[in-house]
Amino acid sequence: MRNSNIVDLRKLNKSYDEGTKKRHVLRDLELEVAQGQMLVLLGRSGSGKSTLLNLLSGIDRPDSGQVMIDGTDISLLTEKERTLFRRTHIGFVFQAFNLISTLTAYENIVLPLRLQGKKDVATEQLALHFLEEVGLADRKDSYPDRLSGGEQQRVAIARALAHEPSFILADEPTGNLDYKTGSKILSMLADLVRKNGRTMIIATHDREMGQIADRVLELQEGQLQEYKAIQES
Amino acid sequence: MPTQSDDLLWISSLRFLLKHPWQLALSILGVALGVAMVVSIDLSNSSAQRAFSLSAEAVAGKATHEIVGGGEQLSEQVYRHLRIDGGIRNAAPVVQGFGRLDGLARSFQILGVDPIAEGPFRDFSSQESGIDLASFIQGSATGLVSNPVLQELALEVNDTVGVSVGGVVVPIRIVGTIEVANERTEQALESVLVVDISTAQRLFDMRGDLSRIDLILSAEQQEQQDQLQIIRSLLPDGVEVQYAGSSSETLAQMTRAFELNLQALSLLALLVGMFLIYNTMTFSVVQRLPLIGRMRALGVTKSEILAMIMREAVLVGLIGTMVGIASGIALAQLLVRLVTQSINDLYFVLSVQELTITPGPILKATLLGLGATVLAAFWPAREASEAQVTTVLKRSNRESALMKRLPRFTGLGIVLGLVGGSLLLIPSGGIVVGYISLLLVIIGFSLTIPACMVGLASLFRPVLGALNGIIGTMSVQGLLSELSRTSVPVAALVVAVASTVGVGVMVDSFRVTVVSWLESQLQADIYVQPPSSVARFADAELLPELVEVLQQTQGVERVHSVYSETITANFGPTNLVTTSLGALAQQTYEIKRAESGFWDRFPNQRVVMVSEVYAYRHSVSLGDTIQLQTDKGLQEFLIEAMYYDYASDLGSVTMNREVYDRFYDNRAISGLALYASEGTPVEVLVERLRERADGLQEVFIRSNRGLREASIEIFDRTFTVTYVLRLLAVIVAFVGILSSLMALQLERAREHAVLRANGMTPGQLWNYVIVQTGVMGGMAGILSLPLGVIISYVLVYVINLRSFGWTLEFLVSPSLLFQAFGLAVLAALLAGMYPSIKMAQANPAHALRSE
Repeated sequence: MRNSNIVDLRKLNKSYDEGTKKRHVLRDLELEVAQGQMLVLLGRSGSGKSTLLNLLSGIDRPDSGQVMIDGTDISLLTEKERTLFRRTHIGFVFQAFNLISTLTAYENIVLPLRLQGKKDVATEQLALHFLEEVGLADRKDSYPDRLSGGEQQRVAIARALAHEPSFILADEPTGNLDYKTGSKILSMLADLVRKNGRTMIIATHDREMGQIADRVLELQEGQLQEYKAIQES
Repeated sequence: MPTQSDDLLWISSLRFLLKHPWQLALSILGVALGVAMVVSIDLSNSSAQRAFSLSAEAVAGKATHEIVGGGEQLSEQVYRHLRIDGGIRNAAPVVQGFGRLDGLARSFQILGVDPIAEGPFRDFSSQESGIDLASFIQGSATGLVSNPVLQELALEVNDTVGVSVGGVVVPIRIVGTIEVANERTEQALESVLVVDISTAQRLFDMRGDLSRIDLILSAEQQEQQDQLQIIRSLLPDGVEVQYAGSSSETLAQMTRAFELNLQALSLLALLVGMFLIYNTMTFSVVQRLPLIGRMRALGVTKSEILAMIMREAVLVGLIGTMVGIASGIALAQLLVRLVTQSINDLYFVLSVQELTITPGPILKATLLGLGATVLAAFWPAREASEAQVTTVLKRSNRESALMKRLPRFTGLGIVLGLVGGSLLLIPSGGIVVGYISLLLVIIGFSLTIPACMVGLASLFRPVLGALNGIIGTMSVQGLLSELSRTSVPVAALVVAVASTVGVGVMVDSFRVTVVSWLESQLQADIYVQPPSSVARFADAELLPELVEVLQQTQGVERVHSVYSETITANFGPTNLVTTSLGALAQQTYEIKRAESGFWDRFPNQRVVMVSEVYAYRHSVSLGDTIQLQTDKGLQEFLIEAMYYDYASDLGSVTMNREVYDRFYDNRAISGLALYASEGTPVEVLVERLRERADGLQEVFIRSNRGLREASIEIFDRTFTVTYVLRLLAVIVAFVGILSSLMALQLERAREHAVLRANGMTPGQLWNYVIVQTGVMGGMAGILSLPLGVIISYVLVYVINLRSFGWTLEFLVSPSLLFQAFGLAVLAALLAGMYPSIKMAQANPAHALRSE
């Protein structure tokens, strides 16, 4: 059963120094996410959602515990190996879009592919395909500062999917958008993820997002609990 | 390891640079200014060297050896003896000296040759080269110059030009032009007048004497030794045979310390340029940290980030270096004249008509420019790549990291300073070690600047708070909250201003020492000197009839004479000065050390005194002996005193005239010192002497004050090149601080917009920004003073001593320090002017909106 999991976190601990004190953000956290699942991670500000995403993406390392992604314990990898792992296995969608301001919409999408060394025509077509999928084929040569917030997030979604990562991490993907645009973007993200058979973890404090998820978990006091279980209790 | 993603990262880089053209231009300017300084000094030096070696080469021709006399001259009997009795055929007599051609503002080398013997030696002066023998050696004064010189003189063949040697003008008829085989020889001969040997003897008053005899000996070792043995057996006492070019090599060596010091000054400008590059690259990185963070999150590795930033640095370095080389060449056109002037004043006659651009200095500048850029950019690039993805997104970490590292930085600075200081204590360390230690002291001091700024802020804050209220306090606090950014331009300004203080104090100390030395040296009322080719050397002589006339002028109470010539000593060519003062010399010579009873022996015994520079250069001391080639053969003299002398950095040996006359047949005089009789005003006597000298010889007759002023003028002229370099270093620093402040203030656009949104008026914002830059200037001004004094101390007591051997009075003038402080504040305020106006005028809404 565990072998089909794309994410497998075991006894994960993470703390930060705050002056002379230590703040424990994650305590013996455990998580299994199956291939193709869409998971929403709820939690208040400061609950440790971003910390968990950083550990899942290999941006940061745990104090202890195992971070198995697609069969690899990335907590054992060097910084460079984690970066290269992230390059191929993970797609990001950030709250602040985080597009590269000096690259056009198309170049932003093609960048992760180029980072993997893919430079053929098929790569370019793949990037253009995702640009079309998010409805921005006509804005391919626009720089991020010429795009609206919604358009920027659509480019970010296309960028997260284009290099066919094992799973996608989305950190408050609608946080910087108005309600209507946010809803549109969220359903576009969910559709594309499902259509391409990807796994996704969305970190948010917006409980409504749970509607699109297969599973909803809440991070409380450094541990994860099923949201429905919380509601029932 | 390059990957295929390089192109997109590179495109992103280029677009970032192009989006910030001011920043890019300022980085390029930083590199360009530093490189321009190095190139211009290098080209000036190498052009001077090349001109010297070309002319030495052309004049020496194909000679392998030369015969030189012990005293100044060599009897032409030696030549006859060698040729007739010794059967040495490949020998050519030469009489050589310097003079001026009417209508041209440079000294010429006058080469007296025998065209018949010249064939194997010099192509341009031989019978074979087409010289019309009949007109060339017909008896009247005739000569040849190169075609360009003839054009410069606007003369034609058979016209006459006045040639002035030691103030005596002789008309010389140009009977033809020197035919040159190529441009190289043409360049070498652009300041050469070829005359018949007898004409040269007349010009230089060397009848029956030669300057040297050129020889071509066999290339085969054994055969050459045999030839040398024969030649030596034919030479009288005091006459020597040596490798051709030995004398020119000795001359060339003289200027090495001078050139090295100029190079060091130019490298200082490059160092200041490096601060500028470091600063702009740091700014460029800091500005892009969010962008770098995003790239890192997407899987761009640290080494890819490092490579990307370094590639930018290489691009900036390349463009900057190219611009720098081009401007360096332009600047060199000006500097070469100043360098040549200094060499002419200090060492020997040199004419550099055009700049020689060789690949050496260009290659060196390219490597230095690129190297300095890459070195300066490495740390910001490394810092960007090393930052964790999570922390990259948080700006304040950088500041907290610097504050945490402050003790380590300061400690490292102190250690480097101490290492630099201890290097200075190595007694045998040369000039290069001196400069390395100076560099370490400067870098060490720079590393302590952030800590010093924290300390100074606690002094500035209450004062500005009282004067300027909350804005004053905020201005100071703003510097500390961005210490990693503000400390770099302050350090650049400190180094630049300190170097001007250092060089300024050194020149001031030098000047004061020379003025006080001149006062004690110049005791007589009036001095008479013939014009000389090298300003600081008396290489010309007074006509005996003129001496006679001047001595017998009414109102002249007492006269003493000096004679100066270059003779061969066991330490090489030596400037021997003879004075007729005898024991009275103790009133004019400032003695550093002397054996007891020296003045009793000086008038008539075989004792000499040497200048401290001579003692330093040749490592001699009291009690040592010096061997001088005299007309009575090689003679030993005891060194019994050492005197201060700032006339030449080559040093000299002084002997009483009475002793000189016992060993040399020469009775020439190269200068007269006259004392006016009581009741005769000096100026009246000067006029009277000038009237009496008129028509006899063109000489300088100057009062004590006049000569002192003329000497100081020459002194100041030799330092012009130093002043120019100092000024350029300040310009580099100014551009540095301008770019840094602009970058800093533009980066704070959002913070300023918040202040404006909260009710700060444009005027208050202008006040805030300008006060902040003023505080930076003030801090830099204060910190530059101790560093400046340290630099000047090292320059005066280490570099100067190791370069020239002079003891200088160390003089720090308060006005110089005040000027330096003012310069720092002014530079900072000027640099802050544009950003402060721009910030005050900026629309806060725009700044708040933009990310």
